[in-house]
Amino acid sequence: MVIRRVVVATLVAGISGAACAPEVTPRLSITMKGSDTLVQVATGWAEVYRAATDTVDVSASGGGSGTGIAGLIDGTVDVATSSREMKGEERESIRAKRGAEVHEHVVGLDALAIFVHPSNPIEHISLAELQRIWAEGGDLRDWSALTPGKSGKIVLLGRQNSSGTYDHFREVVCGKTAEGVHREFRGGVSELNGSSEVVEKIAKAPQALGYTGMGFNTPRVKWLAVSIRPGEPAVTPSIESVNSGAYPIARKLYLYTVGEPTPELRALLDWTLSPAGQAIVAQEGYVPAS
Amino acid sequence: MSSSAGKRLGERAIEAFITFSGWSSILCMLAIFVFVLREALPVVPKIDFVELFTSTRWIPAPAKGNPAHYGALGLITGTLTTTLLGMALAVPAGLGAAVYVAEFASARARETLKVLIELLAAIPSIVWGFIGLMVIGPVVARVTGAPLGTNLLTGGLILGLMSVPVIASIAEDALRAVPDTYREAALALGASPWELVTRVLFPAAKKGLLAACLLGLGRAVGETMAVLLATGHANQIPTSLVDPVRTLTAAIAAELGEAPKGSDHYRALFVLGALLLLLTVAINVTADIFVRGIRTDGAKRAR
Repeated sequence: MVIRRVVVATLVAGISGAACAPEVTPRLSITMKGSDTLVQVATGWAEVYRAATDTVDVSASGGGSGTGIAGLIDGTVDVATSSREMKGEERESIRAKRGAEVHEHVVGLDALAIFVHPSNPIEHISLAELQRIWAEGGDLRDWSALTPGKSGKIVLLGRQNSSGTYDHFREVVCGKTAEGVHREFRGGVSELNGSSEVVEKIAKAPQALGYTGMGFNTPRVKWLAVSIRPGEPAVTPSIESVNSGAYPIARKLYLYTVGEPTPELRALLDWTLSPAGQAIVAQEGYVPAS
Repeated sequence: MSSSAGKRLGERAIEAFITFSGWSSILCMLAIFVFVLREALPVVPKIDFVELFTSTRWIPAPAKGNPAHYGALGLITGTLTTTLLGMALAVPAGLGAAVYVAEFASARARETLKVLIELLAAIPSIVWGFIGLMVIGPVVARVTGAPLGTNLLTGGLILGLMSVPVIASIAEDALRAVPDTYREAALALGASPWELVTRVLFPAAKKGLLAACLLGLGRAVGETMAVLLATGHANQIPTSLVDPVRTLTAAIAAELGEAPKGSDHYRALFVLGALLLLLTVAINVTADIFVRGIRTDGAKRAR
């Protein structure tokens, strides 16, 4: 008797399942991987998008922009999130390995904020000073050269070399030599594997100076206003200063895909730029693209 | 007839299986060597080996238009300094523990301690890394005034703690292998316990103790997860005990997942891997030679 009832229930379930097919067809999985700056945005998207559709499952993870692009080259990732523009040679290897073109989508803007410990009296810093601190051959090593209220060695906290944040900061802050050659970072920077790790470490180290995306700001650290040259008016990161271009270390945040997207992927990409998708970008502390 | 043939066949199969098991470790070792070298080889012509050993400029992902640099001196000194610091702590502590357990502990204490030391050796390295990051790091920062808890000293302390059980358990075996007649003779001549240990047991078990230290060293050199979490990841030659450093293993672990497969960066990491492999093989082979030395000594004594 009991058994029979179970069989009937199963049959009914089967029929009703067939009647509304999308309920039972397995969700198509889309993997989104890369930028650590964008990881909170990407996981936010994945969560909301799963609730908004019933055909697609987005799995989002970080690891660094280079990781996502490496995955795109190897074909293990559908969407690479990136906080830097894809390099020419990376496009080349995708063309060679995947036989298709790369498509770029700008999903937001970010300011690379310069963070210090809240007890640090310094309020603003210039790109020229940052270069002397971070670039190879730079001579600025002590806090006393920056602010009269503090002395001691500056402890540098940055990101690892697959990070788009690392790449963009190097390009803007380390700058070029007189001969037009890009400068590299100097040695001795603690290279951390995540943006939140940078902020957490700074919160515990009064001597620390670090950089990371504006979305990682917390009350336990302080960001500095940044000017181009010492003595010029300095600007703090904000939606306005990023949009107007007044903040000197701003950048675009990207999604990259390869080849003609499937309808499901197309829908997801469109959705990230819709008001619902952009609301998540703003909620995580970044500047919406539109 | 048929049953005995079957038995013979079964025996053959078992024999073949055991032979294969014996050889498999050699096969694995060779396969690892071939794999690491095959992955590393294509980039070798592009690597300046003078730079590799003399420069700290490890720039595998350079800025636009710049050439990559593969200077591993900072990583090599990172590995050597953390390891040496670890050994400076682990050798006295490990040998001390071995002497106590082998010579002075009561039978019951000895059994308990041996189990505990083996348990200690079985703690996963990631757990040691957490302890370094969350417990030892903050203490080091508070005591030394270091700006960051993740540095050479924290890494060295963790490696030391990890190597103690390895050294203690092997050294204990070496001390127990010294025949009791040596102890009785020394005591009969009026040696104090200190003299017994330093003048009789240590010289007699010298090779085994050295092997114990070398195996501890091998563990410290090859350790990845713990140093990844505890050393602070800064590629530089440390000038103080509390400078953050980066080791060969940490560089490989942190960068391998992110370097596109087959790229120069990926292959350069395998060059580091080959360096590390050579280093650990050299240490283990040396240790093995010493261990074999003990066995032949024992055989001589038995005769």
